Amino acid sequence: MKNKLMHLSNETMNIGFVKKVEALSGSSVRRCFQCGKCSAGCPMSAFMEHPPNRVVRLLQLGQGQRILAGRSIWYCASCETCTTRCPNKVDLAAIMDALRKLSWDADGPSKESYVQLANRLFIENIRTYGRQYELRLGAAFNMKSGQFLKDLMLGPKLISKGKLKMFHSKNKNIADIEGIFKRIEEMRKKGEAL
Amino acid sequence: MTPGKKRLSYSYYPGCSLHASGREYDISTRALFKALNVGLKEVPDWFCCGATPAHNVDELLSLSLCAKNLSLAEEVEGDLAVACAACFSRLKTTQHHLKEDDNKRKQVEVAIDGAAALNKPVKHILEILAREYGLAKLEESVKKPLVGLKVAAYYGCLLTRPPEVPELDDCEDPSIMEDVLRALGAEPVKWSHRMECCGANFTLSRPGVVLKLSNAILESARIAGADCIMVACPLCHGNLDIRQKEIKEAYGAPDSTLFGNIFGSELHGGSAPDQRDVPIFYVTQLAALAMGVASQSLGFESVITDPKPLLRDKQLL
Repeated sequence: MKNKLMHLSNETMNIGFVKKVEALSGSSVRRCFQCGKCSAGCPMSAFMEHPPNRVVRLLQLGQGQRILAGRSIWYCASCETCTTRCPNKVDLAAIMDALRKLSWDADGPSKESYVQLANRLFIENIRTYGRQYELRLGAAFNMKSGQFLKDLMLGPKLISKGKLKMFHSKNKNIADIEGIFKRIEEMRKKGEAL
Repeated sequence: MTPGKKRLSYSYYPGCSLHASGREYDISTRALFKALNVGLKEVPDWFCCGATPAHNVDELLSLSLCAKNLSLAEEVEGDLAVACAACFSRLKTTQHHLKEDDNKRKQVEVAIDGAAALNKPVKHILEILAREYGLAKLEESVKKPLVGLKVAAYYGCLLTRPPEVPELDDCEDPSIMEDVLRALGAEPVKWSHRMECCGANFTLSRPGVVLKLSNAILESARIAGADCIMVACPLCHGNLDIRQKEIKEAYGAPDSTLFGNIFGSELHGGSAPDQRDVPIFYVTQLAALAMGVASQSLGFESVITDPKPLLRDKQLL
């Protein structure tokens, strides 16, 4: 992907995608002049095939698909270092959020689906219980990612230290929480929310 | 309390971690506030703020969950005290975005079926200790100064970044944690990794990332001569404390540490890398200890990297 020649034309530049990213993130992509400060400070750039500054450059060139096909957005830790240090006020952390949402919505195959899986389970926990139920989160992640033995030794230790609850009760206001999820879904259906 | 002055009192949003893997943060926060005679009342029926996963995949959901929590907090008097750096960041971010963006606010108000409470001040525990209770008074209240304890103050990501959201301290060179440490009589060390990311919530999906980043933090603290690290985030605590043994196993061989790779063996004087245990404390544990709160009420039994040998060594237990 990295070394493939890039052809730019009205056909290959998906400007609609870039506009969506800008609308979702509330941040301009065009302001970036590629100083590279975001990537220099990024703790995760070593794990990414497109470090943050290149993600913005690809967006400027209308190459959203290249970003979504890679793993960069799923290696962003949301630490906000890039956003904090950008001299041109490009909110890269928000752009990463927007890209993850677009990837999630499209539900396209992701090479890095473990992070997506973990996120999905985390949100499911909120909808089901109101609060995080960490034991279920860990167990469900291991089952669904096929890593049955991951952190197996950690579980009993955490339980014995009182850090992991065996049982969990639902929030009393769980209906209110379900209402939030439902209303957001309805708004999306009607096109009233991005 | 000086007569005539109203007693400080806060509503309290503990967040999910503080009721589970970070329970000692909750226990010690309550113990500390009691010792300082500051009121703390938990928001009834609060729910998860969504943390990083919610905004990673759906900003509207993330903002709505936080907005609903903020309106629940309205029911309890006093500014909202938050201990978890991630909850603090999410709640403040929500207020910040919704104040700036009418369109977003309207969408959120439809989602939560009510008005968003944007004016409830959200404050981190550090802010309350250093600014509202005040460093001078904090120093006066110390019963057992943490003399001789060298502490690496670890800020991590979300306490200070991006600066316009938490408004807690300078985003590149903060000092609030060191100020609190000095007031408690401890000795903050100068070290390089106080603002670096620990790998955050990748602990579930990509533990390898957490081991690498957290190893660099532990190593940096050891090189600076710190006896321990102080944190204000349950996720940082989890990564540095719960996974410390794994980190040592993964990076323990001579010259395979981050610094070993770069500088060869010079830094370690030609010997194996420093493998000392580094106990990880919550700011409230150290503060409460200095206030003379009994160690049994500080949740030390829940910590994986046992801090008791260090505290005994420094005659603080």
